[in-house]
Amino acid sequence: METHCLKRPTRRQFLSSVAFTVLAASSGPVLARSISGSLPWEARSADPPIQVRPGGWLFFTPEEVSTMEAVADRLIPADELSIGGKDAGCVVYLDRQLVGSYGASSRLYTRGPFMPGLPTQGYQAPDTPAQRYRTGLAALNAWTRDNKGGKRFFELSPDDQDATLRDLEAGKITLADNVDAKSFFNLMLSNVMEGFFADPIYGGNKDMASWKMLGFPGARYDYRDHVTKHNQPYPLPPVSIAGSTEWMTR
Amino acid sequence: MKKIVFSVILAVAALSSGSAFSQAPDQADEIIRGRYQAILADCGACHTAPGAKPLSGGRPLETPFGQLIPPNITPDKATGIGNWTEQDFRRAMKIGIGHDGKRLYPAMPYPAYTKMSDQDIGNLWSYLRTVEPVFNPVESNQLPFPFNIRLSMLGWNTINFEEGTFKPDPSKSSEWNRGAYIVQGPGHCGTCHSPKTFLGADKTDEALQGASLQGWYAPNITGNPHIGIGSWNEDEIVQYLKTGANAHTIASGPMAEAIQASTSLMTDEDLKAIATYLKSTEGGSAEKPQPLAASDPHMTAGAAIYHDTCSACHGGEGKGARQLFPALAGSPLVQQPSAETLVRLVLNGSQAVATPEARTTPSMPSLGWRLSDQQVADVLTYIRNSWGNAAPAVQPSDIAGQR
Repeated sequence: METHCLKRPTRRQFLSSVAFTVLAASSGPVLARSISGSLPWEARSADPPIQVRPGGWLFFTPEEVSTMEAVADRLIPADELSIGGKDAGCVVYLDRQLVGSYGASSRLYTRGPFMPGLPTQGYQAPDTPAQRYRTGLAALNAWTRDNKGGKRFFELSPDDQDATLRDLEAGKITLADNVDAKSFFNLMLSNVMEGFFADPIYGGNKDMASWKMLGFPGARYDYRDHVTKHNQPYPLPPVSIAGSTEWMTR
Repeated sequence: MKKIVFSVILAVAALSSGSAFSQAPDQADEIIRGRYQAILADCGACHTAPGAKPLSGGRPLETPFGQLIPPNITPDKATGIGNWTEQDFRRAMKIGIGHDGKRLYPAMPYPAYTKMSDQDIGNLWSYLRTVEPVFNPVESNQLPFPFNIRLSMLGWNTINFEEGTFKPDPSKSSEWNRGAYIVQGPGHCGTCHSPKTFLGADKTDEALQGASLQGWYAPNITGNPHIGIGSWNEDEIVQYLKTGANAHTIASGPMAEAIQASTSLMTDEDLKAIATYLKSTEGGSAEKPQPLAASDPHMTAGAAIYHDTCSACHGGEGKGARQLFPALAGSPLVQQPSAETLVRLVLNGSQAVATPEARTTPSMPSLGWRLSDQQVADVLTYIRNSWGNAAPAVQPSDIAGQR
């Protein structure tokens, strides 16, 4: 009869596994620490956000800027409710995002295998957002040049721009360089909305225009004084992480 | 083998020296009482540097005349007070003259310690003999010429110093007298809280009415109802000194240190006595000044900053939250003549002190990055003149110096 039992490790195997365990445990930064007495605290410690200011382009070329500004102004046109996407700084927001960690996908897992996924699984291809904008905007302008009388997207009339965006959204257009029209449209739409509604410190939402439009109070986190005041408008104006013009002595 | 025997002998020798229990048994009570005197007098506040061995010398004191480093007062013979006699120690405490006739600077609060009883000083001496001796050379006198001439303290003493043990006031209760003794004597509260003359001596006629030192404003702690602690009841004062927080406020800065090392370790009877005495003292005008008009442009800007930046914790009406966020409405600290401490809290943030009865240490974030000098000034002007508060406006130039 055959018996199955675990093989006893040899002396050599045992010693080397101990050595490996000790090595693994002692290398690398120690992440856990114990604290006694009071919590650690330091005067003046702060991690202030960096205010994005318009002026100069860090990612986009001049042609890309004109194209993106035209797109932003068609997705969020200036009307009686608010200023448009361009004036709100949506492209400034996007420019700074694309040179940062978002543009490089540096905080995402971006190794293969690359398989076509379901829409609910989000973007599944290897290109970073920076690469997608570079090829996508060039492909968009190439398409309008070929199909709209030699004009680039931003040179079209607003109606033509709207028609082109609608076709992009519906996937009716085939763009060069394997750019997926539908997913590129969705990328631009979500980024322009982010720029419009995010805190002004990121470069968009100029003067908190979208928050004023919605009546959103901004970076506040305590409403105890107002929570029982039913059916009354909230009295305070919106405030950015970086402050408000109300803070200036007038 | 020889080596092992030798090191065992060494270890036994090290264990037996410097231990309180090696003293004669009748001395034990004296030493324990002396240890309590060291708590009352908060010797460690100056003589122990952060992270260092107890009483082995402190971090530098910035005085208006220059820097002094509190010396090593462990019984080390070479660098501490191991060569001192009890008589030397008594002279230092009573008249500010140390070993070999060296004159002490009054940063060592002998003008307060002179009021201590002979018995209390004797007990303190017994305790100090039992502290672990530490070799740590300290050059105390870092003052520039002419202040570095110790003999000049002879003249200073003639003008500013009055020797003498505390004399109880027979017309007051024994509790009041105990409180007065601690406050004026070992507790040396006036060292921080009393305004100073140009020579750095306490202005005795304005005792405990508030003073600026080392970048903080030690507030008025008399019974004044507006800017003193007159609006707190005795239990609230006791709670503050015991835990570092009460329904009104949370301690910060040097007072937080004093609470941690000294008052939180005092007996409840002594804290009650201190409260009784402090509430009986008078200081400053009881009349409130007129607050600034809410329509003042600095007040409207300050209100906007307050509601956007401060109200989440301190509340829309400045009421705070018990034990967690200090109330600003009615706070004596907020309404001191000087806003120095407030500026510091806004720029640096602050953390409550951990005491055995209040271990959570809520902290205020630093707001220096978010507010300009003008904005810090305006928001402080607003809290000093809202919800019944009234105090002078704060200027941007008051902030720049503390950046």
